[in-house]
Amino acid sequence: MKTWHRGLLALCALLALFGGAAFAQAPGAPPVEFPYTGNRTAVWIVAQLHILFAAFILGAPIFVVISEWLGYRKQDPRYDRLAKEVMKVTVILYSMTALTGGLFIFVLLATYPQFTTWLINHFFLVFAVIYPLLFIGETILLYMYFYSWDAWKGDKKARHIALGVVLNLIGTITLFVIDGPTSFMNTPVKAEGVSPTEFLMTATLWDKIYNYSWMPMNLHRLVGNVTFGGFITGLVAAYMYMAAKKDDERAYYDWMGFVGNLIGVGALLFLPFMGYLLAYELCDYDASICPYMMADQLSMFFEMQGAMVGLIFLASNYYIWLSMKRIEGVERVRMTIFAPIVMVALPFVMTWGWTMFPVPDPRSLAILIPLALLPVVLGRFIPLTVSARTVIKVGFLMVVVGDAIWLTPHGFVPTGAKLVADLELPSDWNFLALMPAKNSAAFTLVFVTVVNYIIYNRAISQGTIVWGKIDFTSQFVLVFLAFSAIWTMGLMGAVRSLLRKYFHTYNLLPDFTPESFTPTLSYSAWWITAITVAFYVVVSFAIFVTLRPTEAKAHAPEGSPAPAGAK
Amino acid sequence: MGNVIKKLVVGLIVGAVLLGITKALEFPTVFQWMFFAYALLGTAVFIILDLPSLKPVSGVKAVGALVIFYIVLCVVYIAGASLWPQYDPEDEKGKIEKILKPKRAATEQGKAEELIARAKALDEQAKALAARIKALGGDQAPAAQAAGGPGSPPSTTGAGSGDLLKIGEDQWQLQECYNCHKLRGEGGKKRGPELDNIGNLLTVDDIKQKILDPKSWMAEGFEKEYEKGKMPDKYKDLMEETDVVALATWLVTFKNTSVNTPKPIKKK
Repeated sequence: MKTWHRGLLALCALLALFGGAAFAQAPGAPPVEFPYTGNRTAVWIVAQLHILFAAFILGAPIFVVISEWLGYRKQDPRYDRLAKEVMKVTVILYSMTALTGGLFIFVLLATYPQFTTWLINHFFLVFAVIYPLLFIGETILLYMYFYSWDAWKGDKKARHIALGVVLNLIGTITLFVIDGPTSFMNTPVKAEGVSPTEFLMTATLWDKIYNYSWMPMNLHRLVGNVTFGGFITGLVAAYMYMAAKKDDERAYYDWMGFVGNLIGVGALLFLPFMGYLLAYELCDYDASICPYMMADQLSMFFEMQGAMVGLIFLASNYYIWLSMKRIEGVERVRMTIFAPIVMVALPFVMTWGWTMFPVPDPRSLAILIPLALLPVVLGRFIPLTVSARTVIKVGFLMVVVGDAIWLTPHGFVPTGAKLVADLELPSDWNFLALMPAKNSAAFTLVFVTVVNYIIYNRAISQGTIVWGKIDFTSQFVLVFLAFSAIWTMGLMGAVRSLLRKYFHTYNLLPDFTPESFTPTLSYSAWWITAITVAFYVVVSFAIFVTLRPTEAKAHAPEGSPAPAGAK
Repeated sequence: MGNVIKKLVVGLIVGAVLLGITKALEFPTVFQWMFFAYALLGTAVFIILDLPSLKPVSGVKAVGALVIFYIVLCVVYIAGASLWPQYDPEDEKGKIEKILKPKRAATEQGKAEELIARAKALDEQAKALAARIKALGGDQAPAAQAAGGPGSPPSTTGAGSGDLLKIGEDQWQLQECYNCHKLRGEGGKKRGPELDNIGNLLTVDDIKQKILDPKSWMAEGFEKEYEKGKMPDKYKDLMEETDVVALATWLVTFKNTSVNTPKPIKKK
């Protein structure tokens, strides 16, 4: 980290802390009007960029410290190198997080001064004391963790790993704290029989933070950040693989891409359920949010989400497929025939099961768990097996079927009000558009991916993996996964924000500006793409400046990279 | 190549079968083609699975390939999102304006804006009057004013019963009650009771009480929804008193006995 870099970070932090407060004091300052984008889109761009950087700097250290620990435990230098290289990118992106954070506050104050002041007043302790202290603490710990990497090795490694754990702890608390005001804007405090306005008068700071969607959002963001960090690690690996000149470098970055994808997909498996939990709590808070989200103005945003999630699962399984192709002896790997049978049965049986016993009825698990465990149990007693290739191909078929179920809408209309028979599913088939079918589709995607990873692990243990010899297409798959994950994050971030409808804070503080309407999906897609590209340009630059120049000198003390042919 | 053609043929056959089945089951045309598209997606996946390995590239070629790949992704995602049916924000803008107008007027800024608007209107009227005085002569001006010329203030008399019903119907649309309640055969997803016969079961005051305090009444057969508090407890904050009365007055006019509106049970 260069001096100018640290200076920039400190300046941003100071501006964010004190500049905003100074602006808020100015009497009668009229809101600015952003040309071309308008105020709302200007806030959207800066906020989304800030969240993308923040997601990476909070998500990456979680698996960085795990990777470092694995390297220490297995005495495998590749894990330590991966951890350190990801931290190099994290440190440079940390400055961007602070920069966009400061910019976010300024843009917010300049465009919506009354609302921003109102929100700061309600969470004054958070914005003025807790969050800055956590941010400063995290900054100190992050730099300590990074700069003590080489000094605290050998006997002191455990100390360094412990420091990483503390860094993650502070990072997670920071996330949870700032989620308080964010979730409050969606689901402000309320109590039965008392209006939100009345209840807010007597609510404590904790009441405001511990609102309906706070914990679901914490969990969703925590898992989402790890997914995101994993896919960005895959992106780093893909870039470096493409730039590598030597076989040993290609072998290392091939391995790094695999690990990044594994982390990304591993966390991704939980993401649909975390998203479901968040949506469930939002609907439970106010039933009118549900139709707005699923049947009316935002319904097509969810169609797009279905398409994106389907593509991400197809791509991650395709990466496993390409990885399998370079394992020598993979043709000997076999699996119980009940695995593909359950894959095929899963979406249909679970649609029926969850229609009978909707989630969260405990009986909804009574069918799911035995069905999911069936291959393990029956496979022990009935030795009928099929090749790994067959299982994976059936898996791909079921991913397509799962995507199809997820995508099938109730009607091809932007709102329920415009539904006509020519654009609506026949009533006998309406179950395809309901939550039990969508949940079963999500579970099918997860189940197939888990089975594919089990097969992959068997292939590694029974065959010989040749690192560095993976099909070059796989690098584009890694790039695709990172881009699509960021795009989907942008889409769902827009959805969560739009759920406030024409309010800054739902049902409490109306947004009187002419921009408080639901934008079209097409308009949103343009901006989400622009934000994703802007983020990508910065990340690509960060990867280039942090990893390329040190390539020649930095790797010597960390042991030789994994040779081709090593497991 | 032969393998690709084989898969393409299989995919097209599967697509045609799906198209035929959905047609036989009387799916709308758009859904028939959607299922055909799923078959094509599956075909594309299986073709990609067995494609030959890509030759590695590096340097400028790799950068070029990446840039092209990103451009393709951007175009596909924007085009993909634009292909879905698009919600027209104009449908919402008018509604939001109507809902927020009284709230804006109640704020300090709203009051100031209203005063400025009134001052501007008065200024315009004064200018118009001055122009007329100049054109007609000073002695005719008071007569024109007394007769209620174009400069006279608008009527401030209250809304008639017809207006009240119109406001009530507007509120039904603005508050999007149709999302949960079926009325006149439109709207509703069985989240709330059908209301076509509500006028025979509840009075204006009862309906008003239910809107302002959803826990005050429960519809028979909707015990689960009642317990879960499905009807939002927010209208006392969102709606003006007069709008609630208008909505209740409009709803009470629905007395269609052929519709089985569930019996309301008083809870408070």
